[in-house]
Amino acid sequence: MLTLTLKELTTVPLEAEALCPDMLAGLSLEAIRALPVLLGKRSLRLDDFFSIEGEGGEDIEIRGDLVKVKWIGRGMTRGRIRVVGNAGMHLGAYMKGGSIEVTGNATDWVGGEMSGGSIHIAGNAGGQLGCAYRGSMSGMSGGTILVEGSAGIELGMRMKRGLIAVRGPVRDFAGLQMKGGTIVLMSGAELRTGAWMIRGTIISMKPLRLLPTFSHACDYNPMFLGVYSKHLAKLGFSIPHDVHDGTYRRYTGDAAVPGKGELLVWQPR
Amino acid sequence: MSCTLGEVKNRADFIIYWGGNPAECHPRHFTRYTLTPKGKFIPRGRKDRTMVLVDIRETMSAKAADIFLQVRPGKDFEMLSILRALVKGQRVSPEGVAETGLKLEQLQDLVNRMKAAKFGVLFFGMGLSMTRGKHMNSAAALTLAAELNAFTKFVAMPMRGHGNVTGADVIMRYTTSFPFGIHMGRGYPRFNPGEYSTIDLLVRGDNDATLVLGADPGATMPKPAIEHLKRTPTIVLDPKVTHTSRLSRVHITTAATGITAPGTVYRMDEIPLPLSPPLKSPYPTDEEVMRRIREAVQRKEPWYPVKSDAPQMV
Repeated sequence: MLTLTLKELTTVPLEAEALCPDMLAGLSLEAIRALPVLLGKRSLRLDDFFSIEGEGGEDIEIRGDLVKVKWIGRGMTRGRIRVVGNAGMHLGAYMKGGSIEVTGNATDWVGGEMSGGSIHIAGNAGGQLGCAYRGSMSGMSGGTILVEGSAGIELGMRMKRGLIAVRGPVRDFAGLQMKGGTIVLMSGAELRTGAWMIRGTIISMKPLRLLPTFSHACDYNPMFLGVYSKHLAKLGFSIPHDVHDGTYRRYTGDAAVPGKGELLVWQPR
Repeated sequence: MSCTLGEVKNRADFIIYWGGNPAECHPRHFTRYTLTPKGKFIPRGRKDRTMVLVDIRETMSAKAADIFLQVRPGKDFEMLSILRALVKGQRVSPEGVAETGLKLEQLQDLVNRMKAAKFGVLFFGMGLSMTRGKHMNSAAALTLAAELNAFTKFVAMPMRGHGNVTGADVIMRYTTSFPFGIHMGRGYPRFNPGEYSTIDLLVRGDNDATLVLGADPGATMPKPAIEHLKRTPTIVLDPKVTHTSRLSRVHITTAATGITAPGTVYRMDEIPLPLSPPLKSPYPTDEEVMRRIREAVQRKEPWYPVKSDAPQMV
């Protein structure tokens, strides 16, 4: 296992896409220390900021307050990253496989345009979780993002496939322009959930303040949720689906697009 | 989708102002371009035009409007979404419409008028773009106007303020292809509002120096941003002492553009207008100061590249 410890918090953000198993695996410790990172516009060495121990491999542990360290695990396809502390922007952006675990909080753009793999955040996440980058037509197209705390605005914007589950409250525009995939909100969301969604499913355990362009379809217990809840339970998120406990109220929208997305809001009996 | 104000004057028979108060903030807008002037295809001037005002309160501009729609504060995005749905003939629940403070008939009437117009314009102001939802409110207005082009000619235009902001956007756009929020640290432009936009950078404290040109962030930005401007070196170029210059390390007095300095200003419809100054100033122009700073920076040693045999990132 390779252990990197941040020496001190930088003022200017550090762009460190070198912190990725695909880059580090198979390199000697000396080569890892010399990997380039960007501080503002200065290209510097990785060991200017991190003390590095262990040996190069697919298992990486990064320690310290990394709020200003961007692009950790960018485009990773395999291996495991464990961040002991907070993580900075663009964590796991474009990732295709492997797993990332954060013990603290993460900020904006976690898993931007990811297509596979899994991200688990023990604390809170920022905005634009699993989002499409500016000008891009689709966001997350596969994989899993699990957040134990809260999340910010525009959660899963333009997501196409994959799963996002958030235990804490979520802010405005969750599932904005969503095209597919599943979002599970255990503590509900603020305003404008599912705005301009085309397809996809948003499941909420708490009542939502809906946009006027969503309309009530029916109350039911969808068959797929029985199967899906088993998958979610394995990930630590248990959602009710039994008819004796309650039903899901299904809303369709967004009529503004017009879209065929669905919002499933749990109604306990 | 946009056009020039000349086209508005000569062609527009349907005008919407959303979240702005042009009667008081853009006092010549009505008389020069949008309401009273007679145009080539608008022979009778005001009589040939319909004006709708959408705002949260009845401002001075409401007197000039044919239809005034008072939307509940913070419900602009909802109202725009309803309009988008109605334009496409989708059903919307009357209870949902009531939330915006308006009636379904009012919105349906607005949609019918928008579709029936020969040339419609939607001007949107800070009341739309700076309230909850921010860029998504603007996106909703722009999308509505774009979608109306399935029925008629319709354009949307932001009402700009504060001098030459349009100019900054235009120049940034043709030099870097992005209008604002650009990061040049890697030698090529990257665009990501929220990450690289000024307020967000300052609030998070991601930059270690600031150069302020033709703006007064010390008067308008949130407190954490102002605190960061105080903490780090800030350089201000301005003809007069502003709130920002009081908290800056360096203030360079420059000539006032249009009064004592020549230059080009971009009107809100992105038409460049040359300025010929009537007076002379003892102070250098903004352009000259920037050129001298740039020359001094170019004389400095470049940042050293990393000497490494390690594989480079792709």
